[in-house]
Amino acid sequence: MKITVKLIGPFVQLFGFSEKELDVPGGTTADDLIGLVSIDRSRPKIVTRNGRAVVPGEALAEGDRLVISPIYSGG
Amino acid sequence: MNGWTGHILRVNLTTKTFKKEAFSEDFARKWIGGRGFAVKILYDELAPGIDPLGPDNKFIVALGPIAGIPAPNTGKAVVAGKSPSTGGYGDGNIGTRVAEQLRKAGYDALIVEGRAAGPTMLYIEDDKVEFLPADAVWGQGTYVTNDWIYAKYGKSVGVLNIGQAGENLVRYAVVRSLEGRAGGRTGMGAVMGSKLLKAVVVKGTKSIPQADPAGMKKVGHDDLREVHRIDKEAGWSIQSTNGVLAWCNEVAALPVRNFRKTHHPDAWKCDGERLNNARIATYGCPNCTMRCGITIHDEEGRESELDYENVGLLGPNLEIFDLPAIGSLNYLCDDYGIDTMSGGCVLSFYADAIDRGAVPGGYKFGDVAGSKALLGQIARREGEIGNILAEGSMRAARKFGHGSIDYAMQVKGLEVAAYNCKFIPGMALAFGVSPIGAHHKESWVITFELKQTSRESYGPEKAQKVIDLQRIRGGLFEYIVACRFPWIEVGWSLENYPKYFKLVSGLDWTLDDFWTISDRIYSMIKLFWLREYPETDRKLDYPPAVWFDPANVDTEGPIAGKHLEVDKYDGLLQHYYDLRGYDRRGIPTKATLERLGVAEEGRAAEKFGKLS
Repeated sequence: MKITVKLIGPFVQLFGFSEKELDVPGGTTADDLIGLVSIDRSRPKIVTRNGRAVVPGEALAEGDRLVISPIYSGG
Repeated sequence: MNGWTGHILRVNLTTKTFKKEAFSEDFARKWIGGRGFAVKILYDELAPGIDPLGPDNKFIVALGPIAGIPAPNTGKAVVAGKSPSTGGYGDGNIGTRVAEQLRKAGYDALIVEGRAAGPTMLYIEDDKVEFLPADAVWGQGTYVTNDWIYAKYGKSVGVLNIGQAGENLVRYAVVRSLEGRAGGRTGMGAVMGSKLLKAVVVKGTKSIPQADPAGMKKVGHDDLREVHRIDKEAGWSIQSTNGVLAWCNEVAALPVRNFRKTHHPDAWKCDGERLNNARIATYGCPNCTMRCGITIHDEEGRESELDYENVGLLGPNLEIFDLPAIGSLNYLCDDYGIDTMSGGCVLSFYADAIDRGAVPGGYKFGDVAGSKALLGQIARREGEIGNILAEGSMRAARKFGHGSIDYAMQVKGLEVAAYNCKFIPGMALAFGVSPIGAHHKESWVITFELKQTSRESYGPEKAQKVIDLQRIRGGLFEYIVACRFPWIEVGWSLENYPKYFKLVSGLDWTLDDFWTISDRIYSMIKLFWLREYPETDRKLDYPPAVWFDPANVDTEGPIAGKHLEVDKYDGLLQHYYDLRGYDRRGIPTKATLERLGVAEEGRAAEKFGKLS
């Protein structure tokens, strides 16, 4: 299934891309995907799926948009 | 008195006199500095009902015990007075060399009273105060004024100045400092202008009294280096505050088209990545090692310093997505001394009002040239529309009528910052209960709402989080007077601040001690409002009505079909009041005032409004 991954803020420079589409097997979770795009797991982050915070372990679906962002605290 | 200079400088522009006044250790410990000093002084010295733009108002610059001392990020000052935009207590926080220079001159605060006979620049050097003519730059923008001052005194002095907007009493005129700093969006630039005070220049040569100066020097310098290292590792300052724009767009929190929309396919054109790519220089405040001011070339080739709030509100909110064009609008606001946030919201309100037939006009969303022209008309109060818009969106809506107040994006007369709360209940509450009108500096809960609870919740956990953040952001950082960014953006521990406080004052306080101070100051601000608005009620703490409007929902995206619900918001507000110890109007109860050590101030307020 096709999933779009979008990085936010300094993650773009730190992990080398801004947005990309990935073809992943069915049943892939958000956590699996973070590993696939080589994001440092220890970094504090907020992951949203189609604009809503991801529930740990939830499986992704065809066409999902996963956004991985540092935890902003509002200027 | 270690930690404080122990003195306030009181200047009267009418009589051209000044006085160095001592304050007690009790006063220092009870109010600490910055916002604490400002609200206590204004409460004690201003008669309720005075005209904020008249000579009876006072312009205050207040510093805190760590202000100006090399440590993370202490180059900040609080500017305060009765607000021309809200009629309540107003203040702002500005990056400036005044923080260090005024403390070195021997003062923790400056009170400016009266009204000068002609345009004036106040020059303070230690015990000397001069009232100098400023006719040469009256009518000029802040850039020319700043250069004029630098040419006279060099760049090491502390400077606060205003542009044409402050001179012409635009109710959301700011104070400016350095080349790109602004503060006091509650109209503190207009308070200066009303006094014909074009600029304050400060030079100090004394040392700041500290309990352990050698220890503070070592810790301060080590910590500045450490904050720099952490920032480089986290990469925050690559995009600085504008990194959040793309995220807001993804989670439907971006202001687009006067907050009618929450996201836009062209938002990427002005996001943090594009801003970083267009960067020509980076600026910061004194004592900062994680500088956030990114400049780009605007449409006219000028250097314009951008951050998220001004990009969000002068860009997508006006349906303008071209960075150089946004840079031009930002440059004009900075030069005129117009608050970029209120400026953006006032323009978007005007375009929306025309769009909805509330008022005739040719201005439209996306109109860059029209926006530039309007900013000039506002700053000069030129023509009928320049004059109306210079009053801010709340007063303009009263003039336009036709229900336009519902989409004037303001609370208590101060325009909201760049977070669209169409369906973010906790952040809507944060805007609603911000004690100076809608401002993001007091509390910011969006990430908490999405990650640690649910967006749908109106539960007490959100009210508690708003309070927790108010104690830190609107409390600690506003009275100890330092920038909140090291803590907010790169995770610099809050425990560092009692450590700095102990090194300068010798007092061994915990964060809980500080939270009591924060609550005391918030209560005092509420008492200030009660005196001004004795008939106050909880509706003053409601966000703009359009966020409750079912006709305004998104038709697609993450919050399609969703909007804030009035009854539920009111319940969330009540949670906030209950947790704070406020009554149903949002005023602290007598028991709360007693607990916070301000019962006497409460009794003084009772002459004007009831306490329960």
